[in-house]
Amino acid sequence: MWLLLPLLAVGFAGVWALQRGIDAQRAALHQERDDLVLRSGKLLKAMSLEYTPLVADLYWTRAVQYYGDKRARHEQGFDLLWPLLDVTTTLDPNLLVAYRFGSTFLSEPEPRGAGQPQLAIGLLERGIRANPDYWRFYEDLGFIYYFELKDYGMASQAFADGSKVPGAQIWMKVMAAKIAAEGQSLNTSIFLWNDIYQTTTDPEIKENAFNHLQLLRVEVDCRQLNALADEYEKRTGHRPTHMIDLVQEHLLPHLPADPKGFPYVFGPDGKAALNLDSPLLEQQLLDESKEPAAQQ
Amino acid sequence: MKRAGAVALNTFREAVRDRVLYNLVFFALLMMAAAIFVGQISIGIEEMVIKSLGLSAISVIGLLIAVFIGVGLVYKEMDKRTLYALLAKPVRRWEFLLGKFAGLVLTLAVNTAAMAAGLFLALLYVKHHLESADAVLLVAVFFIWLKLMLVVALALLFSCYSTPLLAILYTSAFYVAGMFVEEMRTYHSATLSAAAAGLLRTISYLLPNFENFDVMAAAAHGRAIPGALVAQNTAYAASYSAVVLLIAVAVFSRRNLK
Repeated sequence: MWLLLPLLAVGFAGVWALQRGIDAQRAALHQERDDLVLRSGKLLKAMSLEYTPLVADLYWTRAVQYYGDKRARHEQGFDLLWPLLDVTTTLDPNLLVAYRFGSTFLSEPEPRGAGQPQLAIGLLERGIRANPDYWRFYEDLGFIYYFELKDYGMASQAFADGSKVPGAQIWMKVMAAKIAAEGQSLNTSIFLWNDIYQTTTDPEIKENAFNHLQLLRVEVDCRQLNALADEYEKRTGHRPTHMIDLVQEHLLPHLPADPKGFPYVFGPDGKAALNLDSPLLEQQLLDESKEPAAQQ
Repeated sequence: MKRAGAVALNTFREAVRDRVLYNLVFFALLMMAAAIFVGQISIGIEEMVIKSLGLSAISVIGLLIAVFIGVGLVYKEMDKRTLYALLAKPVRRWEFLLGKFAGLVLTLAVNTAAMAAGLFLALLYVKHHLESADAVLLVAVFFIWLKLMLVVALALLFSCYSTPLLAILYTSAFYVAGMFVEEMRTYHSATLSAAAAGLLRTISYLLPNFENFDVMAAAAHGRAIPGALVAQNTAYAASYSAVVLLIAVAVFSRRNLK
């Protein structure tokens, strides 16, 4: 008996070492492992007998893991995201969370997401057909039209349609009218991102919304600083070159800083801008780079 | 009936002695692991996973017990020759069969109820509270038990005239076929003649319809299940089991036990 224990320990240690070696080999085959054998939701539904809800949960978990893994590895291309979401929502058409988060994963531009807003719209429309009483899908639809596709007519229509669903919040109607009248506006953007920030339960989406809210605050700050720069020019006859000029002219009590604490600067064009050291700059450039593509 | 009751009680005791209820430990570990880890690997489905995993585990574990113990109910007694001693006493064959059936159904009821309690505990851990909508899970668990009752009746029937291995195959085949009854009724094909379609439709009504008891999706989403369906399913399971048991009694009564 006492001999058995060390033998078992040695045996398990050997298995552990072998598994480590196999893991290293398989890591090299990561790309090959990255596959989805069964893509037919209907076939899977038939095969899973009465355990369809559990299989749907497993596929949703796989979609989340796939998305998270790709992001963690900074890999491009989310080829399997749509098939995974397609299977998940075919298996369980009432899995609301798969439509909401899934459409966000699909619509966000690369590298944050798959950069496929049309597929995200298709997913949400499927969700609306299966769950017509859930007004939040219309909000998500409007969000994608507004931010990703810059199609303000469709965004307004989505919010208007959603406002007719019993239980929808009153601001849906307000948002529909506001977007129809103004198109993109700073206040609308702040409101929409703030709603996502307040209501989401996913830490990554919350962080993304927070980043966007910070960038919107930067935009508000820069507009105000540019107005003060105009005032400075009126008084002195020339544009300020440094923020300290505004403080010395008593237009500001102290040097203004962005939400990350980095002081704003005046760019070569004389407009207020983010400091080159600010971590928000990368995010801002990323957002600006996707805008021309969306407008095409 | 008193004699059938005695057989039932002994079947239950035998199951407990055979450590059948040890599966509850596995179920408890599974639910604890799910409750702790699902929130860390997925988004927004903690509650749903506890419900669907719990109900699926109750169903799978129950099916394994119903099939594997069900097919051995009669065979084991014959193999160990204890059946002859029993039938030498004033116990009729139908009483023996009914007792065996009731004993295993009672075992499954205790097992299912214990797992349901575990499911609610796991749900309480994840949600920190229970709400009235969660009561629909009790209906789903009850439907699983009705389904298991039907499976036990089928296993008992097949074990009356075949070996355990074949009985497992027959019972499993009926179970899987019973999950596709709706497809059989609605199946349309250009190559299928009217007579064949009619035959398929007739078979679909003769097969046990296990789809009747599938309310897992509704339960996982907290949707109410109509009381009429509960009553109809209860009547269906009781009637179908009674018919299968009648056939089993007829087969077993004519069987030469020499």
